[in-house]
Amino acid sequence: MFWWVVPLALLAAAAFGWAVVRSGRKDKARRRPAAHVDRLTTLPEYQAALRRHRRWLAVAALACASLLVSTAVAAARPVELTTTRPEQHNRDIMLCLDASGSMSSADAAVVDVFAGLAKEFDGERIGLTIFDSTAIQVFPLTDDYGYAQEQLNLARDAFDGKPGSSGFLDGTWSGRGSSLIGDGLASCLNSFAPVRTEAGSAPDGDAAQRSRSLVLATDNFLSGEPIMTLAEAAALAKDRAVRVYALNPGDFDYGSGADQPGAQLKAAAESTGGAYYALDNPDAIPGIVAAVEETETAALKGAPRAVVSDEPGLPLTAALLSGLALCTALWRLRL
Amino acid sequence: MPSLLLRVKSKMTIFAHRKARGMLDGEYGSVFRGRSLDFDDLRAYVPGDEVRDIDWKASARHGSPLIRRYVAVRRQTLFLLTDTGRNMSALSRAGETKKDIAVMALGVMGYLAHRHGDVVGLVSGDSAGTRTIPAKAGEAHLERLLRHVSEHATLNAAASRIEDQLDHVARTVKGRNLLFVVADEVQASPALGQLLRRLRAQHEILWLTVRDAELVPGPGSAGGHSADFYSVTDSAVLPGHLAQSVPIAAAYAKAAAERDNARTSMLRQAGITHGEVDGSQDVVTALFALLERHRRAG
Repeated sequence: MFWWVVPLALLAAAAFGWAVVRSGRKDKARRRPAAHVDRLTTLPEYQAALRRHRRWLAVAALACASLLVSTAVAAARPVELTTTRPEQHNRDIMLCLDASGSMSSADAAVVDVFAGLAKEFDGERIGLTIFDSTAIQVFPLTDDYGYAQEQLNLARDAFDGKPGSSGFLDGTWSGRGSSLIGDGLASCLNSFAPVRTEAGSAPDGDAAQRSRSLVLATDNFLSGEPIMTLAEAAALAKDRAVRVYALNPGDFDYGSGADQPGAQLKAAAESTGGAYYALDNPDAIPGIVAAVEETETAALKGAPRAVVSDEPGLPLTAALLSGLALCTALWRLRL
Repeated sequence: MPSLLLRVKSKMTIFAHRKARGMLDGEYGSVFRGRSLDFDDLRAYVPGDEVRDIDWKASARHGSPLIRRYVAVRRQTLFLLTDTGRNMSALSRAGETKKDIAVMALGVMGYLAHRHGDVVGLVSGDSAGTRTIPAKAGEAHLERLLRHVSEHATLNAAASRIEDQLDHVARTVKGRNLLFVVADEVQASPALGQLLRRLRAQHEILWLTVRDAELVPGPGSAGGHSADFYSVTDSAVLPGHLAQSVPIAAAYAKAAAERDNARTSMLRQAGITHGEVDGSQDVVTALFALLERHRRAG
């Protein structure tokens, strides 16, 4: 990154070497002149010792140079430039479950899947709303996965009909009628703030950039008079940029008319950019939810981005090894 | 620059406190065996003079021993021969510059010769060339000789080669003279031995070796951790700690002893009286011993 450090370091090393050579000439004053040194230098023992000494000197010089070079390279901050498609985790997932009796097993499966998924979430927010004639927000969009998981487990127990857990569904029958799908969906959508046209004016900085998806588990078996129809709620969802994934565990359509409940649900889900899954068996739900997850994940893959990461490992390892070699050589040289 | 000769004289005065300086004169005077009958004068006997030089009759008259002096003895020529190459600017065994020790030895010998009435010349040089300063009398001349040696034997001088100076004397100096050679620990070689024998046939030769610095600190020496040596020949550094290892020290001691033996035996075979000196402290004593040995040998 700072490539100019390398020539700078080389220049500095050269200047230092020159200074050392210069001072080395003056250094002679510290040494004492001797004549007839062949008295010592011709001894084979001395020559062997001198060769060893020179070898260690060479090792020390090499280690010193390599230490300098590797630290200079490390100081220049070598970087690796890679392109990645980052997987974004800024998703909001709302679970919107029809709590009418016919849906219990499907709801339990959906909740179970998300309780498992919540363990692996990182940055996603998840919320749960259950509805029958009225909608209850069990917990709003949150990234407190421990709490979410706890609530999801409670919901699963309630849907499975475990004793003592029926209180979980309290308050969903206080309205007139049953399975008011449109109202339920609209209530779920209230968890998402309306999309601002200007991203900058949004109170929550990246709220507009978070992807929104809603898993709606219902059989669209309407009994009663909803305030909002399914189509109106779907329009609202589209308005708030929420993709609705509808799961229908029991498709009670007769024929292929557009007014059949399944067809209506399919049209509503697809109008928001989501999808519609008709299931014959609640056991298929985990697979479906996983598929929804996959689709969402794939849709949310970010644009390729250049990632610049420091690669100090190699030069620093080399510097460490050179330092060790230098220490050994200096020890051998008894300096 | 203070007078070099003055330094020599003061050194001899210190020596005189311990032994009569006259003894040194006598030792010098008895170096020459060549005598003529050309009687010059009488002087008082000093220990070391040849007994047969005593003029018994004159001594009897005078009451104390008197020595006969002859003209031929007085007009002897002493040639100081030394190396002024780079080697002499290296350290001696005592840690001084070898050149200083050489100047001291040459000064003592020259001064003795001067007091004896002899003329003193100098042959000095290095591998680049040899210079002869003709023999003359007088302290000023002697001072000039010493100064020449002192000024030329520097680290910037050419490499040493004492063989060149010896060869020069063999080729150019005529007649029988006294040669006083101050050299360092030269390596004995057959060629040098032959040259020395050739010189010895013509001259009286006194050889003083200035011991070179010990390259390996001995087990008893305190200066083991002093700075490294470098060679005056090629400026190569001798890492001091290498020489401190026991096997190298042993090998060095063996090699040094062999080298010393080779040198002394070469000089002995040539018939040259040989002395050794470690530092300028020992110069006068070493010279006395050298002259004494030479007299005995004669």
